[in-house]
Amino acid sequence: MTIIKTENLTKIYSDGKVEVVALRDVNLEIMQGEFVVVAGPSGSGKTTLLNQIGGLDKPTEGRVYLEGKDITQMKKDELAELRLRKIGFIFQTYNLIPVLTVSENVELPLVLLGIPERQRKEQVMEVLNLLDISELANKKPNEISGGQQQRVAIARAIITRPSIILADEPTAHLDSKTGGMLIDVMIKMNREKGITFIICSHDPQVIQKAGRLIRLRDGMIEDDKKIW
Amino acid sequence: MIFKLAWRNIWRNKRRTIVVMLSIIVSVAVLLLVDTLSVGMMKQMLDNQINIHISHIQIHKKGFKDDKTVKNYIPDDLKVEKAIMEIEEIKFYSKRVITYGMINSAYNSSAVIIVGIQPDKEKFITIISNSISRGKYLENKGEILLSEKLAQKLNVEVGDKVVLMVSDVDGNISTELFRVVGLYESPHSEFDKINAYITIEDAQKILKLDGKVIEFALIVKDQKYVNHIKEKLEQKLGDLYEVLTYADVAPFIRIMLDMYYQMIWIYYFIFGVAVCFGIVNIMLMSVFERVREFGVLKAIGMKNKNIFLLIMTESFIIGVLGTIIGLALGFAFYIPLSKSGVDLGFFAKSLAWFGTGRIIYPVLTNFTLALVSLTMPFMSLIGAIYPAVKSIKLEPVEAIKHI
Repeated sequence: MTIIKTENLTKIYSDGKVEVVALRDVNLEIMQGEFVVVAGPSGSGKTTLLNQIGGLDKPTEGRVYLEGKDITQMKKDELAELRLRKIGFIFQTYNLIPVLTVSENVELPLVLLGIPERQRKEQVMEVLNLLDISELANKKPNEISGGQQQRVAIARAIITRPSIILADEPTAHLDSKTGGMLIDVMIKMNREKGITFIICSHDPQVIQKAGRLIRLRDGMIEDDKKIW
Repeated sequence: MIFKLAWRNIWRNKRRTIVVMLSIIVSVAVLLLVDTLSVGMMKQMLDNQINIHISHIQIHKKGFKDDKTVKNYIPDDLKVEKAIMEIEEIKFYSKRVITYGMINSAYNSSAVIIVGIQPDKEKFITIISNSISRGKYLENKGEILLSEKLAQKLNVEVGDKVVLMVSDVDGNISTELFRVVGLYESPHSEFDKINAYITIEDAQKILKLDGKVIEFALIVKDQKYVNHIKEKLEQKLGDLYEVLTYADVAPFIRIMLDMYYQMIWIYYFIFGVAVCFGIVNIMLMSVFERVREFGVLKAIGMKNKNIFLLIMTESFIIGVLGTIIGLALGFAFYIPLSKSGVDLGFFAKSLAWFGTGRIIYPVLTNFTLALVSLTMPFMSLIGAIYPAVKSIKLEPVEAIKHI
């Protein structure tokens, strides 16, 4: 089943004088359960593509369909609802809420979904166990390592059982060993939970483990290869 | 969770939160004290006006209010007495004869308001019997009670003789000799300057009123129902009589009360606006410091209304917490002061002119409590609107990139 489809996706940034084409006519189809790595040099349009797919930004032209629905026409609150229910985000700098504990950070999306407290606690413990970070539950983000914070970010992203997880350079701030372990965790989530991953990265060990590798250059797809 | 998040957020920068909270605490405490002191002053002024002379309700012949001449005596005092007796809510009443005249001593003379009273009954109407500074209270015919101020002006002492000169009911000049039996001093210096008391019988005699009275002064059981009792009396007495409450008799009291309300609103406005700007300042700083975080919250699906609610909650907590501590501080001062009173000795002269007395007892009303409790939380919400709007206008993509 197609989960993401883009049609002639184009994004042009303009400051009134200079125009920068970040994406040009990108046509892409991603199936459910795929483990996609989008690679390319800096400025190739990886993050822009991810932002368009995640409904964080609007394209200049073209369409993005998530599970068949055109998200480019949605209003801000509809997009927020969509992100809450269907999309999980993992950022380069983890971006946990510093005043909340690990378990509260993971719980937050469930609160926004209006899930009852007891059910929330059960789901949080389950996900923390799955990611092997249950002993960190009551720690604040600044009390744990970068690798642990990124695991928490993954836990926060998968807690709502989204259809798709978008990760932007998730290993950029981690050493290669921790980064490798993190990619393994994501592959595990992909295989066990059937969650679709789209990961932007230029980290060789991430690219090496891609299920499908899309290479971008100058805002266009240079290569699209299915590996497993 | 929004509350938990808001609560923890406000303590991220403790010093900043405490500084703005201190401004709320001090504002609330000061407003509580200024307001209760003002109410106390108004209440004392009103009570003194009522207790020194006015009483709760006065009954005259129609037209006396505008033409205070002896000719406007009450045509049928028995009818008035009967009407008073029929109304249960009236506690005490006393008859009076009032006129203007001259008082002469061997050394000086002065214009004076001569109040003929029933000494025994007047004790329950006014505080004059308790305000005797020298000599004794009025008992018998031929006696006169002067204020310390008037006695000083006339250069007389207790036991000295004075002559009253009035225009009687027929318009003839009438004079009578009186012996000063006592001197009084009320909290109202202006009142003291011109009022002298004699017995009602003497007043009737000197004015040739033949047993007629000019005024009935009434004290009711509950001051709150004074207008209701006035209506009852008007129904019973008909058009020939005027029934006046203390507010009708002394309209300046109402003006003072109106002035108080206007002043107090200005106080609340000034303090409220100051706190509001403080809140705008710290909440804006707080929003700008957390731009990236708002981007993340938006990215994970938090809707704008929840982000708006988060900022408003943070500000509201600061407002409520500041108000609670401010009230506690205010009460720490108010409770002992409401018992001991505040000695405003350095304003004694002007306070005596207003008739309040130099010791002011602060009075807390439900209105003050409500106003002082709600102003700062309300202004905190107002102050948070702009920062909250700023936060919801952030674009997630831009916000996440923010350093």
